[in-house]
Amino acid sequence: MRLPMPSLRRPRPAPTRGFSTPALLAWLAVIVAVALVPQLTRKPSLLHLWIMVFLAISQGAAWNVIGGYAGQYSVGHAAYFGMGAYTTMLLLELAQLPPWWGIGLGMLNAVLLSLVIGAITFRLRGPYFVLASIAVAEIIRLATLYWKDFTRGAEGILLSGIPPLQLSETLTVRFVGKQPFFYVALGLAVLAVSANWVVQHTKLGYYFQAIREDQDAAHSLGINLTLHKSVALAISAAFTAAAGAVFGLYVRFIDPNIVFSLPDVSVQMVLICIIGGIGTILGPVIGAVVMVLLGETLRNPKWLVQVGVLGDESPVVAFIEQRLSNAHVLVYGLLVVLVILFAPDGILGVLRGWWGRLGRRAAAAQRPETT
Amino acid sequence: MTAILQIKHVSKFFGGLAANSDVSFDVEAGSIMGLIGPNGAGKTTLFNCITGYYPPSKGEVLFKGVRMNGLQPNQVCRLGMARTWQKVRPLAKLSVVDNVMVGALARTNSLRVAREVAMEQLRVVRMDQKAGALAGGLPIGERKKLEVARVLATRPELLLLDEVMGGLNPAESEEIIQLILELKRLGLTQVVIEHDMKAIMRLSDRIVCLNSGEKLAEGTPHEVAHHKDVVAAYLGEAVDA
Amino acid sequence: MTLFLQSALSGVLVGGVYALIGIGLTMIFGVMRVINFAHGDLLMLGMYLTWLLFKSLGLDPYLSLVISAPLLFLWGAVLQKVFVNRVLGALPQNQILLTIGLGLMMSNAVMLVFTSDYQILTTSYSSSSFDLFGLSVSVPLLYSFLVTVGITLVLFWFLSRTDTGQAIRATAQDRDAAQLMGINVKRMSVLAFGLGTALAGTAGALLAPTYYIFPQVGGPFTLKAFVVVVLGGMGSIVGATMGGILIGVTESLSAVYIASGLKELVVYVLFLAILVFKPAGLLGKSRM
Repeated sequence: MRLPMPSLRRPRPAPTRGFSTPALLAWLAVIVAVALVPQLTRKPSLLHLWIMVFLAISQGAAWNVIGGYAGQYSVGHAAYFGMGAYTTMLLLELAQLPPWWGIGLGMLNAVLLSLVIGAITFRLRGPYFVLASIAVAEIIRLATLYWKDFTRGAEGILLSGIPPLQLSETLTVRFVGKQPFFYVALGLAVLAVSANWVVQHTKLGYYFQAIREDQDAAHSLGINLTLHKSVALAISAAFTAAAGAVFGLYVRFIDPNIVFSLPDVSVQMVLICIIGGIGTILGPVIGAVVMVLLGETLRNPKWLVQVGVLGDESPVVAFIEQRLSNAHVLVYGLLVVLVILFAPDGILGVLRGWWGRLGRRAAAAQRPETT
Repeated sequence: MTAILQIKHVSKFFGGLAANSDVSFDVEAGSIMGLIGPNGAGKTTLFNCITGYYPPSKGEVLFKGVRMNGLQPNQVCRLGMARTWQKVRPLAKLSVVDNVMVGALARTNSLRVAREVAMEQLRVVRMDQKAGALAGGLPIGERKKLEVARVLATRPELLLLDEVMGGLNPAESEEIIQLILELKRLGLTQVVIEHDMKAIMRLSDRIVCLNSGEKLAEGTPHEVAHHKDVVAAYLGEAVDA
Repeated sequence: MTLFLQSALSGVLVGGVYALIGIGLTMIFGVMRVINFAHGDLLMLGMYLTWLLFKSLGLDPYLSLVISAPLLFLWGAVLQKVFVNRVLGALPQNQILLTIGLGLMMSNAVMLVFTSDYQILTTSYSSSSFDLFGLSVSVPLLYSFLVTVGITLVLFWFLSRTDTGQAIRATAQDRDAAQLMGINVKRMSVLAFGLGTALAGTAGALLAPTYYIFPQVGGPFTLKAFVVVVLGGMGSIVGATMGGILIGVTESLSAVYIASGLKELVVYVLFLAILVFKPAGLLGKSRM
């Protein structure tokens, strides 16, 4: 049985690539609306949910640049995530360097690391590249575990506190509670998605996608493969590291098996993109929302009660707590299997398909009857 | 009249196999050189060596007097040499116009300019109506035309066409032939690999015939077509233009 | 010197099991060109199955192979027919993602049923060892190695002397040609995946007496299996056998001479080196 590839079955007009004002306004409206959420609710579990969604969006959007647009499936992005987390946390704890500088250094470190990793692995194709990316991340994890004197090893790093940020004479941000992290994570997510938008609408995007579609053809059309793959990976690494840093500062404790984790970080990032819709701007956003909501619900269904969606004694909550606790990974696995087999363009692709069918039915309904 | 492309004693070995063996010929600027020979003669291998896909094991490739050995394919393209592929390579998930834009972006950083160039090339190959279609969904004839448009968008001075008429029906082949002649009229130098002998005879100013990696014959179409070695190894009987 | 021989010996014994995992993976790749990222989780299933049979029926892990191996073969055949078959022609990246998804489903389903608690399977000989020329040989490791040798020999015989075995090899060499010669390549794929699964599960059964058993145990084994396979050359059973032993010995010697905490790191660094400098493997073959 052949794998269905719905996007190639019949030529459909490609989506416009130009700068679309209505779309931009829609995005801005959404961002403003979301930014108002902390003013409307103080429930920590809700704010936590949003923060996790923003971080997931950042990670998915970051991976999308190298995996979705450039077609290089790295399953070792935890290397950059952890690099960002460790750089920021170590500098803060050991050298009292404020995290807004630490994140910058973390991103720089990640970019440098990506250049090294790229130099080693870009000559490899397809599955060999995947395997190499995994091996590198595992090497870094094991090295971090081993060199305790430098990294505190399995003990991890526990954050004692984040210094307040003095923005002006009167405005000081104190990193207490969830609200400040809400805005930081939101900002990061907006930047990461914007980076995707910039990539898609510039020469970079064309070149990345050409590399993805057919590397040799791209090479013969004047594209410097190593340079462009390196740029894609660097962008991807930088945002991944930023997400790692924010994550570390938010949860206040990291250790090598958390932030360099193959299943929890590297694989998750890939899944967010694949399930949502790879190679698109909206895809990682959708994937992040779906996966985080599913995950948090199955991990801690009480948030549904706190929001008022379900009653305190609801059998659904009880059922989830008793039987499906931590079953979210099972669902993730199922989703990715379903996507690969039946919906290669992810949830976004499915939604677009429905939208298209609705449109055609509406158009057909409007056509005058022929006699 | 200058030779824009000089192949000097090029050999290419894969392990013990000599895919190309001491091949030498020149291509005059503005002319069309036909490259013929049975399957496995080393024609595509030669293209790959010339365009930097891999370097020749021995010998030199000179383009506009510049040594091309060891250059990367992207550098070769920037210098003005472009090639199409025997098995078409569309950028499947991109649209037709986006495909050609990728080529055009070799010469500009502006998407707007690239789009204009792309539409112009699509008009030349008569595919501008299909600009928005997905490249992966096109039939073979249009894929070939798309590949030609894409490669033309890189503004080459020398174009290497690898069996561009393979798999096309007579009407489509004729379209390509006219296109090649038109490109020649505009000053483009071309090297054409083809099995369609009638087409080669019509198009070529000179022909080189390869067999088992070696150059068997070189000359005008008429000379090569009646060359006894070429007839024996490849043609079967003399072909008249 | 004794230390060197001792650790080398342990390495060879463990390496045998690595070889078994690698052979299964390389067979799947050789016949179907599928990159199976769920391979370690298949090993995990073998571990749990063996543990269940031990706990409920008191069956010795090596003897219960008679039950568990065929069961795992069937499971592999089901996986192939329902899922893997559909991605045979797809991009390798999609195959990887599909098998990752299947692996996640398997490990998580086991977690939901059995919880993440570490299980142990202790037999009467789990910690015994005997003396061989002044070297200490772990009994369960020796049993594992012997079983591995036995299975490998049977496999060699199967592939070279039986019709079905040769048909599998033919499919691995050239799928289209095999089909033209009347071989049912679809059935060969099912067989290969079933065999690969059975081999992985068997490796799990062999490791059960000496390893902690938990749902996530498969992950590192998947990666190690790939190291073995790439080292020996994708698709080469002989290569996987030698690769497994080599990895086992490298790991063991690294633990002793470099640091116990770095033994896996050394293996992965070796892996990177092979990928970069000799991706066709040390043997440079890609045939079964």
